[in-house]
Amino acid sequence: MSIIDLEGIYTAYEGGSKAVIRDLSLSVDGGEYVVIGGPNSAGKTTLLESINGLVKITHGRANVCGLDVCRQGNEVRRRVGYVIQNFYFDPFTPFTVEQVVMMGRFGRMGIAAQPSKADQKAVCRAISMVGMEDLAHKFIGTCSGGQQQKAMIAHNIAKDPEVMMLDEPFSNLDFHARKYLQDILKEICRSGKPVLIVSHAFDGLPDIPIRLAVMNQGRITFDENCWADEVEDIIRNQCRASTEGRAFREATGVLNA
Amino acid sequence: MLEPWITNNVVCHATEAMIFVSIACSILGVIISRTSLSSIGITMSHAAFAGAALGMFLGASAQAAAIVFSLAVAALIGPVSDKAKMAADATLGVLFAMSMAVAVFLISYMQYLGTGISSTALLFGDVVSLYREEIYALAAVSALTIAFVLIFFKEISAIMFNMKIAEAAGIRVRPVYYILLFIIAISVALSLNIVGGLLIFVLLVTPASIAGQFCFNVRSMFIAAPLVALSVSILGVWAGFKYTLPVAPLVALLLTAAFALSVMLSFKRRINTKAE
Repeated sequence: MSIIDLEGIYTAYEGGSKAVIRDLSLSVDGGEYVVIGGPNSAGKTTLLESINGLVKITHGRANVCGLDVCRQGNEVRRRVGYVIQNFYFDPFTPFTVEQVVMMGRFGRMGIAAQPSKADQKAVCRAISMVGMEDLAHKFIGTCSGGQQQKAMIAHNIAKDPEVMMLDEPFSNLDFHARKYLQDILKEICRSGKPVLIVSHAFDGLPDIPIRLAVMNQGRITFDENCWADEVEDIIRNQCRASTEGRAFREATGVLNA
Repeated sequence: MLEPWITNNVVCHATEAMIFVSIACSILGVIISRTSLSSIGITMSHAAFAGAALGMFLGASAQAAAIVFSLAVAALIGPVSDKAKMAADATLGVLFAMSMAVAVFLISYMQYLGTGISSTALLFGDVVSLYREEIYALAAVSALTIAFVLIFFKEISAIMFNMKIAEAAGIRVRPVYYILLFIIAISVALSLNIVGGLLIFVLLVTPASIAGQFCFNVRSMFIAAPLVALSVSILGVWAGFKYTLPVAPLVALLLTAAFALSVMLSFKRRINTKAE
């Protein structure tokens, strides 16, 4: 059984009249490095948030880490790391980098439980993995965008997730930090856990087989293995083909076909 | 509790009441101020005000009705936001307006019927006519608030940091959020007689804002905010009785002055400015 197993899912945001994800099926096994690409509003972020149950699945079947996402969403979120897109922490946020990374472990702890030595160790390991040892006691709001991004990645590494999902993880990182993050993600893949990335920046992708899933209008329109240097061209061609196809369907009046 | 030190019963009860109100409201205020939901305070205070007016209209206990109405509004915030597809702040705005309309309508109607009541105590509070049971209830709410923060400290910290990140980390955000709403509802309803519907908001927001000027972490904010509220409230009660001034508005004014002073003296702000 795959670690992520989606079958014919539909999802819509609260208040949305139209399903963002439509009849989407996807199976991801351990150790796979999946890059999800596609134009804006294709449903890439919604797909990630459907996998961990942050967005409600209205139809279809979703199974992640052997759990039913619709009924056991909270348990799924404890096992799935998710680095969200576009966060901002104001300079007066009263939490240090170390405290934020520790929050990644909170889901695993019981109510009123204090962090154990194992939790402390996992936090130290995660902080050192992203190279933020010197900044552990710095307030997160006073960190740069790139440092905040790294702290959020460490927050998810500390969680020791069975699946790692990242939404635009390279957006605030310089070239070296990107390369460094790619190495971390490659390590996670080697340990048998799947990594799913939504990104528009493809430089520095690892030299391992990449599974590329291109999304358009809530559906996966391309899903094949490729190498890092092929990713950008494939996405561009897929998006162009899709735009031309849509223009053709509009012109011929079969848009909803 | 304070009888050995304060011989005058009225002053003693007023001081005790202000101590418990200060502890409960300021602790809740720390959470409210960091979750961008300060409108909860104003909505709840007006819900309690409307509930008390409804209680009087029906010839029932104003305080019991205030608690029931506040709890009902607290229970509505989440589901109404979800069903009406609105942000929680917009829902709070609608519920605030509804509460105010209910209160004003009932008070005006009772005055028209000739069974008019004085709404001054409900609006501005009245610390001189308190029953011992009310003080016990306030003590219980303060204890409940402290227990809530101690038990759910991890979850509360994560929610204060970022609700979506907390949820993605597998933290049960909703139950903690609903417990928070219910404790705010009960605290505000019980404080209505003492500080009044209009001034309770000051106790919810200002002590936490003052603590925020000096504290670097959440733990110290949870200690500093009640200390600030306690000190100012005791000073307000003392000055109010000594110079025959209305206690609750005086406490509100003193807290506002303390906030202005804290902004001027905040070394935290200076450190941040220097860093820039």
